[in-house]
Amino acid sequence: MIRIATLFWLVLVSATGFAMFGVKYQVQALEDELARTKRAAAAEEHEIRVLDAEWAYLTRPETLDAMNRRFLSLSPIVTKQLHTTAADIPMRPPPPAAPPTLPEDAVAVATAEPTSPPNASPNAQDGVPTLAATPTPLPATPEPPPALSALRVMPALLEKPAGAPQLAKALPVKAVVKPATPHRAKSIDDLIAQIMASR
Amino acid sequence: MAAVQPFDDNPCRPRHFKPPPCAPVVPAGPARQALEACRSRLFFTRVLFACVFAVVALRIVEVVVLEGGSAQSHMPRFRMPVPPVPARTDIVDRNGKLLATTLDSPSVYANPKQILDPADATRKLVKAFPSLKSEDVYAKLTSGKSFVYIKRRLTPREQYEVNQLGIPGLQFQHEERRVYPDGTLTAHVVGYTGIDNSGFAGIERGLDDTLKDRRDPLQLSLDLRIQYVLREELQRVIDDFTAKGAAGLIMDVNSGEVLAMVSLPDFDPNYPGAPDPDHPTLSFADRMFNRNTLGVYELGSIFKIFTVAMALDYGTSTLASTYDASHPINIGRFTIGDYHGKHRVLNVPEILMYSSNIGAAKMAMAAGGQKQREFLSRIGLLKAPKIEVAEIGSPHFPGKWRDVNVMTIAFGHGISVTPLSFASAAAALVNGGVLRQATLVRQPPGQAPQGQQVISPKTSEQMRKLMRLVVEHGTGTMAAAPGYVVGGKTGTADKVSGRHYEDRKLLSSFVGVFPINDPKYLVLAMVDEPHPNKQSHGYATAGWTVAPATSRIVQRIAPLLGVDPVDESSPEIQRALAVDSLQGKKIEAY
Repeated sequence: MIRIATLFWLVLVSATGFAMFGVKYQVQALEDELARTKRAAAAEEHEIRVLDAEWAYLTRPETLDAMNRRFLSLSPIVTKQLHTTAADIPMRPPPPAAPPTLPEDAVAVATAEPTSPPNASPNAQDGVPTLAATPTPLPATPEPPPALSALRVMPALLEKPAGAPQLAKALPVKAVVKPATPHRAKSIDDLIAQIMASR
Repeated sequence: MAAVQPFDDNPCRPRHFKPPPCAPVVPAGPARQALEACRSRLFFTRVLFACVFAVVALRIVEVVVLEGGSAQSHMPRFRMPVPPVPARTDIVDRNGKLLATTLDSPSVYANPKQILDPADATRKLVKAFPSLKSEDVYAKLTSGKSFVYIKRRLTPREQYEVNQLGIPGLQFQHEERRVYPDGTLTAHVVGYTGIDNSGFAGIERGLDDTLKDRRDPLQLSLDLRIQYVLREELQRVIDDFTAKGAAGLIMDVNSGEVLAMVSLPDFDPNYPGAPDPDHPTLSFADRMFNRNTLGVYELGSIFKIFTVAMALDYGTSTLASTYDASHPINIGRFTIGDYHGKHRVLNVPEILMYSSNIGAAKMAMAAGGQKQREFLSRIGLLKAPKIEVAEIGSPHFPGKWRDVNVMTIAFGHGISVTPLSFASAAAALVNGGVLRQATLVRQPPGQAPQGQQVISPKTSEQMRKLMRLVVEHGTGTMAAAPGYVVGGKTGTADKVSGRHYEDRKLLSSFVGVFPINDPKYLVLAMVDEPHPNKQSHGYATAGWTVAPATSRIVQRIAPLLGVDPVDESSPEIQRALAVDSLQGKKIEAY
């Protein structure tokens, strides 16, 4: 009888002993993992701080301004470019009768195609300077009579006839005559490539 | 039992040979049984140990051979040096753009006793840091000390490179460094810190404790984009008119938040002591000087807005009051004359429009020195301004307020205030009469801080109309920004030199508010000692120097601030800004 009791206690003691060691090692492993994770998080946080500082340095206004001058040549918004209410936004021009073709001569196009200047109308109306690459043959015509007759379909422009000569001054004539790339850029890289090619 | 086997049983045994003593042969019986039991127990123990060792051996095989790489997780804990959380919090602008941050900038040191190959280590280190001299490094590495600095304050990239070298015996010491990514742009506002990262100037010094205690970044009211515009335009004025310096600030008139504050020349807070390559002659103190908060100036004619506001608020003048400005006033050793002289009787709007010193002096005399002093004190011009930067200048004003002082203070001479105090007071004149303390810390949107009503809303409205007149028809026409309804006042002061005024040295300033029919932002620009150029037809006055700059600033910042342009000729705006006393007459008709 005594021997069975001893055996029972022995088994129990060794079982608890093993269990205790097991748990202890488990806890140690978990503690290790916790410490590792904490260190990794702190290191990660520090990396983020460094990257934040680097980002702030690379995007400071000075750099952006210099890069804009080099690659984009955007200028500050002028007052007349701002449309603050929906009513200010001009209506979409009527669809062109024929797809706008590239002019060989600006005057010839202006006289020959009196009904196809939809590209020019919103721009001339707002006085928004457009990219030299967009085909805007009409305002650039040196003689105003054909241009005005061509634009008769657009009543909005007749209200502000002063817009057309202004734009004509702003746009270099050779930019209009030059075969421009009418297709839209598919991606930002494409756009940058276009801009780089145009200068 | 005790029978011993005779050892000379072998007849052939050599004589000298004695057989070894032998274990007694235990005869069968209880003793023998006990012996047997012992043997079996020993055997059992042996088997047990063999089993345990077999388990250990198997485990070793499992760990080393079968598990392979995963055994690494049971290696002793390896302590990678990880920088602790920085002791000083970041500073960001109102859009969250980083203005100042603390980066870990460890110093690398060597323990020469642990360096195995000093020559090789020297070669690698000099390759990584070309600024180090190889003989110095070699001397350090062979010095036999146990601690020598190789290089202080590494950048993260340099730290990475040192790690890549893999030289045993090199260690990093944790150090922190304050970094200002925007450099000179916010130098005077943010300030800089010393080697132990305690604030030495600007916000860093003014809010030193806050920056040390806080965990989340400190958000300033500053807008970096607007700050850039302001600095660029002021720099342009300096370049165009070969001026000595310039200062400017942009304030939200309804909350007192400062959106931009620039003082030129400036410095790079990352290297505060380094000389400026563009201005090698300027001392550090000159570049450190914050003209907006520390500098006190006799601002000249822009002070007339306070004279007019005082007279209107106390009721000692109305818009229709007239004052004879046909002859200069002689008082004591002074002669008060007009720069843009009209030599006739002027009414109050004209005094402001044409910036008549004589008229302003007479208006102030009509109110009296007592009221003038009381009014200036009420709008906070007779005490030092309160703002978060450490550099604060106290105003200079006469202790005894005599008649001559009343007259000169009426047009901004004989009293020196900081541009910041001026801006706060001017904001109170146009925002409905509430004076709020200027602040550089962002206020929660929609909650204007508590202010103090210093003039009546009616006077404030009259002041807005008068300031619009100055830009429409008066001395400030070049400050007009189409669509943004700018109102303001020009001021060209002769600088004080010793005990008298110098005619050639000017301080030109302009205070502009837009849109003046519903004031939102105030722009104060000031240029120190501008010289006339060809474009300005020989003028260096405010109307030709800072007024055009203000116009450019307003046109550039208004879209950023979300101020919509309006049609200035629209009937509502014309009606809102019509001056009653003129009763529809044209200005030129007066």
